[in-house]
Amino acid sequence: MSVLTTLKDEMCYCPGCSHGLALEHLGEAIDRLGVPREKVCLVSDIGCVGTADRYFNCHTFHGLHGRSITYAEGIKRARPDLLVIVLIGDGGCGIGTAHLVHAARRGVGIKIVVFNNFNFGMTGGQHSPTTPERARTTTTPGGAVEHPFDICETVAVSGAGYVARCGVFDPNCVERLEAALRYSGFSLVDLWELCVAYYVPENKLTRPGLKELSARLHMPFGLVRERPPRPGAASADGEAERKRPSSPEAISLPWCGRREVCVAGSAGQRIRSAAGVIGEMAVAAGLHVVQQDDFPITVRKGHSISNLIVSSGPVHYTGVESPHLMVLLSQDGLSRLPILGVQTEGSLLVVDESLGSVPPAARTIRVDLRRIEKESGKQTAALACLVMGVIEAGWISAERILQAAQQALVGRYREENLRAIRVGVDWQQSLSERSPATPAASM
Amino acid sequence: MREFITGNQAVVRGAMRAGCDFFAGYPITPASSILSEMIASLGSRPGRAVQTEDEIAAIGCCIGAAMTGARALTATSGPGLSLYSENIGLAQMGEVPLVIVDCQRMGPATGGATSTGEGDVVFARHVTSGSYPLPVLSAADAESAYWLTYEAFRIAERLRTPVIVLLSKDISLTRQTCDLDAIDLPTLTPRSTGGQSGSTRPYRVDSLKSVPDFVPIGGSAPVRFTGSIHGEDGLLTANRGAIDRKLSHLKEKIAANADLLEYVRNDLDADAETLVVSYGLADGAARDAVAELRDSGSRVSHLTLYSLWPMPERAIQKALTARIRRVVVPELNIGLYADELRRLVKDADIESLTRIDGGLIHPRTIAAAVCNAEAAAKLVERDERGRSCQS
Repeated sequence: MSVLTTLKDEMCYCPGCSHGLALEHLGEAIDRLGVPREKVCLVSDIGCVGTADRYFNCHTFHGLHGRSITYAEGIKRARPDLLVIVLIGDGGCGIGTAHLVHAARRGVGIKIVVFNNFNFGMTGGQHSPTTPERARTTTTPGGAVEHPFDICETVAVSGAGYVARCGVFDPNCVERLEAALRYSGFSLVDLWELCVAYYVPENKLTRPGLKELSARLHMPFGLVRERPPRPGAASADGEAERKRPSSPEAISLPWCGRREVCVAGSAGQRIRSAAGVIGEMAVAAGLHVVQQDDFPITVRKGHSISNLIVSSGPVHYTGVESPHLMVLLSQDGLSRLPILGVQTEGSLLVVDESLGSVPPAARTIRVDLRRIEKESGKQTAALACLVMGVIEAGWISAERILQAAQQALVGRYREENLRAIRVGVDWQQSLSERSPATPAASM
Repeated sequence: MREFITGNQAVVRGAMRAGCDFFAGYPITPASSILSEMIASLGSRPGRAVQTEDEIAAIGCCIGAAMTGARALTATSGPGLSLYSENIGLAQMGEVPLVIVDCQRMGPATGGATSTGEGDVVFARHVTSGSYPLPVLSAADAESAYWLTYEAFRIAERLRTPVIVLLSKDISLTRQTCDLDAIDLPTLTPRSTGGQSGSTRPYRVDSLKSVPDFVPIGGSAPVRFTGSIHGEDGLLTANRGAIDRKLSHLKEKIAANADLLEYVRNDLDADAETLVVSYGLADGAARDAVAELRDSGSRVSHLTLYSLWPMPERAIQKALTARIRRVVVPELNIGLYADELRRLVKDADIESLTRIDGGLIHPRTIAAAVCNAEAAAKLVERDERGRSCQS
């Protein structure tokens, strides 16, 4: 029994319309493959040919105009064993050009049959992307002026594996369709047709006229392109499932209440990483942490600001307006603070000494960022400064922070980060040697 | 085990826990990390995660895959949700189980790509032509992003509907402490497939409220899917009775199950005269404000909404205890949900607190609205004292 259940004259199409004949050819081509009907899915676009689902006894999917290619790709990706065929018109190839091109590039093995009759039949004979120059349609009463869209060349240069163009009355039409369906990668057949309701009466197009049109437009019938199928074209290039870092042995850090930190600098200073390292250590120690970042979409240039909240209890409100500790490492960061409404009054400010008018703070420590960079490495100086600030604020002792870092840090940057933390500890100690800090409740 | 993860990572974890096995998306800030993490997470399943040429292709791929039986997810931001619009209608009409994450950002159009805002809360409700209902959930932090994504898959499967999960930039990209493994989640029920006999009438329902069995494309018997108005056989119909039945069913299956779609957190005080209703990013500030107000002796109730549509009317009515006279609604938009609440709440004043510049609403702003300026001043003092004790 054929996959096509209805004869062309019993279909809904206008007498003389090519769609019925084209569908009979397609039905025969599918039958020749011998694929069970439950392994075939037709995905129909919008337009007269979009009504064809009902004439086939197989899976059918009828979606939105121009998007049939996307549904087909989703079906094929999820069920590579299915024969997935798109029935689309020339209009659909226009509105869905992006899908046509990029599906061809990806090469997922869907089969596209274009029912190309040079105009929009369903909506009243308007011009379509394939309407030849000078052709008259209801929207080109003086003759079309746009260059016609070469569907075959477009998908061929985009990587389509099998591309052919043929007239619906060509004796080898079924063979062309069959070859396209047998091709294992992305394939397309551009099937030229007659729309007897609009295009034919307006433009006196005839059966032999299709061949003449093909010659005039330099779009020859026949095989346009055939490439060997690309292996694994449908594969995503993702890596194997990432493993979560194993739970580090928890140490506990004594902590009182909610403390807010702002680290402000420039892209490239690894501001967010610095805040993240302290955050990860705090989480590993059983504290509650929020890290909220601000940066422009050009992530390698401009400001980079990270707000960190470390709390002994759950954190609900995630905003930071007046941090208890601010580490300010570049003019970019400084300039951005007023926009974010971040104030520093009452806080400890650790600031690069090269910066000019810095915000008022209860206590300001000026550091030579270039020297710290030399010791810790440029990439992790922000972390060193942050560690310096955290100890100087009296929240945690140098010993504790080194211990927590040893236990909590994992991953490829572990050694680099540990070194920076040691540098931060050393700098804080040299600070207190120079000018002993007011005794804080050191933990 | 406590972890330190972003809201977007929590979405990915929730999806994977729910058995998500298909993802398609297009890069957009602040949703892009869901795309990259899903490609990594589904890396062992070739072809099942893809970055497409645009948002239309992304949701199209998901719909195709979902109809073969995949548990599909896509994620975008407001501009991308606009491009999803027509296909969300297709997913409604075709009754496609599908989870859509919208990581909201500031303003209309390109807006503020890296700034926060929660202006899609009503857009998400009426996101497509025809305005048929679909469930919309709203995360308040990374942890709720996790379990709501999981719940979204349950709802999508159970009601055969697209479900939208809202986050916003400062939830999506903010790292927070989470203990996801400790969250108790209900078990997933497999799709009822109705067997082979369902294939001839894939949209058959016993009543307007019931949900058709899922007969997958590629199953043992051919089945029809369509976004055009159709009868129970999945073929176009012009029969007005069949049309009315189909469209009424799309409304009824959501309305009749509204109670199942109610996700809230109650923190009520029977003697309170003010109720704070919050969702999304403003919820954290509301929780802190309510805690501080109570510390200073105020009586106040708080209702957190994790589901926005259908509006959780039962929970809201329950929170409107006898003495409630005012309802304070903080939101990071122009006051969208407060407007909707005014339709429901007749015996109390709705006070809308809004912020639209990319900043957060501070707990003090909410506290001030709840009590009065004097009490708020006290809170400022307390805050200052807290600061000095800490430093």
